[in-house]
Amino acid sequence: MHSGLLVMTADMLSNGIDSLIGNTLITQFIMVILEIVAIFAVISVAVIIQVYMERRVCGFIQDRLGPNRVGPFGILQTVADMIKLMSKEDIIPAKAERVLWGITPMLLFIPAALVYAVFPFDDGAIFTDLNIGIFFVLAVMSQSVLMFLIGGFASENKYSFIGGMRAVAQMLSSEIPMAFSIMAVVMVTGSLKMSTIVAAQSGTWFVFIQPLAFIIFIISMTMETNRTPFDLVEGESEIIAGPFTEYSGMRWALFFLAEYTNLLTAAVLTTTLFLGGWQGPVLPGIVWFIIKVFLMIFVFMWIRWTFPRTRIDQMMGFSWKILLPLALFNIIATGIGVYIYNWMY
Amino acid sequence: MQGKGLLTGLSVTIRHFFGKKVTVQYPEEKLPMSETFRGGKLVLDQKKCIGCRLCSMACPNEALDLTVETDENKKRHMKKYIHKSGRCLYCGFCVEACPTKAVTWDKNYAIACYTRTDLTYDAVKSDGRNETHE
Amino acid sequence: MTEAVSKVIRTEEYQLSMGPVHPSTHGVLQILLTLDGERVVKAVPCMGYLHRGIEKLMESRNYFQCMPYTDRLDYVSAMNNDFAYCRAVEKLAQLEVPERAQYIRVIMAELNRIASHMIFIGSLAVDVGATTGMIYPFRDRECILDIFNELCGARMTYSYIRIGGVKSDLSVKVIDMINVFLKNLSAMIDEYNDLLTGNEIFQHRLKNTSVITAEQALQLGLTGPMLRASGVNYDLRKDNAYSSYEDFIFDVPLGNSGDNWDRYIVRMKEMRQSAKIVKQALDGLPEGSVMAKVPKVLRPPKGEVYVTTEGPRGEVGYHIISDGTVKPYRVHIRRPSLINLQALDLMCRGYLVGDVVVAMSTIDPILGEVDC
Repeated sequence: MHSGLLVMTADMLSNGIDSLIGNTLITQFIMVILEIVAIFAVISVAVIIQVYMERRVCGFIQDRLGPNRVGPFGILQTVADMIKLMSKEDIIPAKAERVLWGITPMLLFIPAALVYAVFPFDDGAIFTDLNIGIFFVLAVMSQSVLMFLIGGFASENKYSFIGGMRAVAQMLSSEIPMAFSIMAVVMVTGSLKMSTIVAAQSGTWFVFIQPLAFIIFIISMTMETNRTPFDLVEGESEIIAGPFTEYSGMRWALFFLAEYTNLLTAAVLTTTLFLGGWQGPVLPGIVWFIIKVFLMIFVFMWIRWTFPRTRIDQMMGFSWKILLPLALFNIIATGIGVYIYNWMY
Repeated sequence: MQGKGLLTGLSVTIRHFFGKKVTVQYPEEKLPMSETFRGGKLVLDQKKCIGCRLCSMACPNEALDLTVETDENKKRHMKKYIHKSGRCLYCGFCVEACPTKAVTWDKNYAIACYTRTDLTYDAVKSDGRNETHE
Repeated sequence: MTEAVSKVIRTEEYQLSMGPVHPSTHGVLQILLTLDGERVVKAVPCMGYLHRGIEKLMESRNYFQCMPYTDRLDYVSAMNNDFAYCRAVEKLAQLEVPERAQYIRVIMAELNRIASHMIFIGSLAVDVGATTGMIYPFRDRECILDIFNELCGARMTYSYIRIGGVKSDLSVKVIDMINVFLKNLSAMIDEYNDLLTGNEIFQHRLKNTSVITAEQALQLGLTGPMLRASGVNYDLRKDNAYSSYEDFIFDVPLGNSGDNWDRYIVRMKEMRQSAKIVKQALDGLPEGSVMAKVPKVLRPPKGEVYVTTEGPRGEVGYHIISDGTVKPYRVHIRRPSLINLQALDLMCRGYLVGDVVVAMSTIDPILGEVDC
């Protein structure tokens, strides 16, 4: 039986509802709804925290203070910005493909949120423990590239279109090294199931067994989330904001939401695959999980506010000519290692 | 070794992350203005002014519109000293040109206003600031 | 694209209008890019969005009143513009500038050069996407602006260097501030080196892009760091020493390949050399007056004069024609940014969109000067 804090809470809740209603089926239904709401709440709260954190980290790194006016320590700044964005005029470019242009921000959020279905937040606290968990994550995450392309195309703006094209090129180049770096982890574990991967790290975290895979994964995850040094899709100084150029107000906020959800995804994935997931001494699993995730988010932010941007050809060259061979080499090395390990024991 | 520079960069930024911040929290704390600071509105000391118009002659952009009055003692003094700060380059040539040091800057840099007409003011009266002189 | 593929897929060049509203055009400049995919076929800078007619404005003002307008040409190195203008008028009116004033002018021009190069580093950093790389130079530039603010009461539009000398003598406080700044400068530059120069991504972005050979640079009439990065040793401070520059020992940093990296490195090195000059000038500051005897109404004799000065961006030249009245008959200003900007097409052809912004940055144009 699982003993995580989240699971216990959920069990208590479900027992309570069960005794109130008395029908197991309805209880289960209510619980599913609650869990979905919980995931969205977690994402929204995490995004708000991340935006605040990004500004603060950026400010501190740049010898500034960052937002510190709205609310205590400026923590309500993101909320204030949300209100401002919501009250903004919704400008639709005259020549845009209205339908495609309109649905893109919403569609973009779906793959970003969908991957949370398979993340183990705590011992047993996993929405659906698919036996192809990792595969599902990779498959769903790569969907977001379509929205970038659609958004860029539908804006009828050359900058947006270049951004959309770049997004395709970049995601293709990043997905493959990432998949191969994850494969090394999967080979060690022998399972695609998220819970098994976390359980396999109860002794040693995979970051120590697979350091090369970890580095490749971090780099390709930075590409995946479009953050500096690989923020070519937005490429502020080159193509203004890439696919988001024509979006304003709430639509733009949705892009932003998806972007930070992706950052959270990146941090959660790194934590799950390499940093032992929710496992840790003394503190409850969920606390360890949050600590590790935010540590990873900090690392991503730290990288972002230090490095310049690469150029598109350099980024693709790096990805295909360096990361991919390294990842392949890592797989071979891991394969040999696993074979020797099995042979010896 | 490739990647060494990246790590050095990261070490620089993390040092600054924990380091001292340089932000001046503006409305609460304000930087002191230097003695020579050119900015704000012009203050005309009526007692010192001899109505020579040198200030308006030095102005490169005709930002000063003066009306000089001669009183019964044949002494000239300013009736109107209109500073069109919208035209002003803040070069301070008027202040330098004044032989009696009657014109000075008030160094109040918070002079943003809502309408264009607010930019023009009369340094002789208006403002309330000069009332002490009168 | 290989021959076989291009037969099947028909590609088309397209126009991309970069600016005048764009995050990285350093003001209001429009670059009309003809692109083949992301590759630049042609880049045409379209200027004039910031034209204020300063040359014409000067014709209706007397020689003293022109001063504030020169500040507004190259607003990040206004001292150097004032310097150039004053030298031109002084030559026209045959005024002798006291030595102390000459030294102070050198100090201010060199400090302003450092400030201008800091802006260059900052804007280059932000154009390659390193936002933090922008903040540090801009933060350090504040020190110089504070010095200028203390000195003449303005942070950008100084009007400090005047016809016949300088506006006021250096106060003890200003000298102290300059000394403190010079002491810290080395650490500041080291920090940029750690953050940017050593960074491999930054190096990859800059090296071997937008190459200008020495011949091309000369043909285009480039001056300043742009020319020296191509390996041409031409610095007016050395070659045509003015205002006591011959008293100071300093090197002229040269590049060899003329790529973006060289243009960056040359400016980085120039900052140290400028600091060296300031230090020597402060140590050897002669006594005396800071202002020559200039008539209250300046009527230079009939004639014309062309005087050049080495600004941070290149050769700042003033061609002034006097008809013997208090106002100049005609002023023409050789603005280095304008002429350096003509190299943009050459620098962008065959490179990617990402390189256009870097090329733009290493030209380091100030649009106030380009459009005049």
